Amino acid sequence: MYGTLSKRDLALELQSQIPILRPSIHSRRANLTVKFQDLYGFTVEGNVDDVNVLNEVREKVREQGRVWWALEASKGANWYLQPEISNGIALKSSLKISALANAITLKRLIRKGIPPVLRPKVWFSLSGAAKKKSTVPESYYNDLIKAVEGKVTAATRQIDHDLPRTFPGHPWLDTPEGHAALRRVLVGYSFRDSDVGYCQGLNYVAALLLLVMKTEEDAFWMLAVLLENVLVNDCYTTNLSGCHVEQRVFKDLLTKNCPGIAAHLEALEFDVSLVATEWFLCLFSKSLPSETTLRVWDILFYEGAKVLFHVALAIFKMKEDELLLTHHVGDVINVLQRTTHELFDPDDLLTVAFDKIGSMTTTTLSKQRKKQEPAVMAELDQRLRRLNSLKMEDK
Amino acid sequence: MATSGNKNINAKLVLLGDVGAGKSSLVLRFVKGQFVEFQESTIGAAFFSQTLAVNDATVKFEIWDTAGQERYHSLAPMYYRGAAAAIIVYDMTNLASFERAKKWVQELQAQGNPNMVMALAGNKADLLDARKVTAEEAQTYAQEHGLFFMETSAKTATNVNDIFYEIAKRLPRVQPAPNPSGMVLMDRPAERTAAASCCS
Repeated sequence: MYGTLSKRDLALELQSQIPILRPSIHSRRANLTVKFQDLYGFTVEGNVDDVNVLNEVREKVREQGRVWWALEASKGANWYLQPEISNGIALKSSLKISALANAITLKRLIRKGIPPVLRPKVWFSLSGAAKKKSTVPESYYNDLIKAVEGKVTAATRQIDHDLPRTFPGHPWLDTPEGHAALRRVLVGYSFRDSDVGYCQGLNYVAALLLLVMKTEEDAFWMLAVLLENVLVNDCYTTNLSGCHVEQRVFKDLLTKNCPGIAAHLEALEFDVSLVATEWFLCLFSKSLPSETTLRVWDILFYEGAKVLFHVALAIFKMKEDELLLTHHVGDVINVLQRTTHELFDPDDLLTVAFDKIGSMTTTTLSKQRKKQEPAVMAELDQRLRRLNSLKMEDK
Repeated sequence: MATSGNKNINAKLVLLGDVGAGKSSLVLRFVKGQFVEFQESTIGAAFFSQTLAVNDATVKFEIWDTAGQERYHSLAPMYYRGAAAAIIVYDMTNLASFERAKKWVQELQAQGNPNMVMALAGNKADLLDARKVTAEEAQTYAQEHGLFFMETSAKTATNVNDIFYEIAKRLPRVQPAPNPSGMVLMDRPAERTAAASCCS
């Protein structure tokens, strides 16, 4: 375990300072499960320790906020918005010491978390969404929404079906207003890219983007930059081929980084994609607590899709001992589900993700994807041909 | 754990069917006895387990509840590989979902385990007024293709436990062996059960 003891001590100390969310002595004694809302309005079920961890996280978020404000005060409000920063290659050619220093500071800062109030602004600029938006007329989003109003497609039917099934019970998402906003973003995007149209899973991603970005137009652009620039191509298109590729790359990385676990799971005939597919398609939003998910997304929008591999590997790595003791597929899944649901402290996860997992570059990942593509295509093609020949026989 | 005369069987079961047919609701009703009007949409697949006692055996179902959207079908082989049983679910108020169910039957019969126990579930049986698929039609189809058929309602719980019990009873190792011999224990699922009961 990583620092559980010290965390608890700290939490106890903090408990005396933070009255919110403090459970009664009775529930602590009985070790009861308590229900409460987290920073983003999601209902969380956990025990008293979890509440303490969340309080500690809130305090860390506040501290991070102070660091960001101090930087804004000394370097100017938009100090991180220099175009070179997010592009390592351009950086070399324009070796400006201050830009380099800022880039290093920024990467470190972002790994420690962007304060929730600054997220909309920082994500929007650093992800490339602002740039994407600036290449089209100001009225693009409104025009798109007006143009597609009342149109019915396979995508819109599926979206309508999923609206009440997206984080049901959330105090804003699960209201007529929330449904309408989510619908406009998803329907609008389904017309922008007809290859993607609508893929289940994007409902969760877009919902969380709406919660963070506050305005649906910004959420729309974040979704666009995510699918068009940040993630690998074809993750969400007709046969999810991009997702199949990512899963194969992930399996190779697991064998490399956690050979013991990989061998054990193979002996159990446990395919890691059984759990990791959802992680990659929903970008962890259905598995990790909200602030932990958003901390992963902070890095995703600045450093790219490699963070997904770091985090997925870390989840296995953190539970190495426990996983090696499992005998059944069901036990493996229980360990992983419990782990992800209880990762209330993002730093527990991200420390492992970056300190205990070998570094990988976007270039090496691209190479590995290229390597896997032919096999994936062949597999998908083979299945289609088999199914088609079945149809022929049937006639 | 195992007492003499009892058999412990682990059985992988997969649910397949059109989006919104009620796969997750059936599982939730069976595993937790609950029903919610709006069940979170399943991405990839969700895992559940539930144990049933049938005849002299205890059957532990390892249930894979899969995502229904068409493009997720490319993932399905991962979930039905090695499955001992499948429930193919359609919404009896939706004809297209019945057609989709037939395609799943085809795919499983061509690709799945040849001894797989297959059930056809006509779900949402509580919505009688909206019925689009008759019980006779589904029953005939099931008989012709070697499945057993039940109309279910996850909402009212009608036939939900029954369909899982029926599957459990039909699993090869649950049926009384015609000529009891050590041979029955030699195939793989039984081996895995034995390994589990001594170590867990």
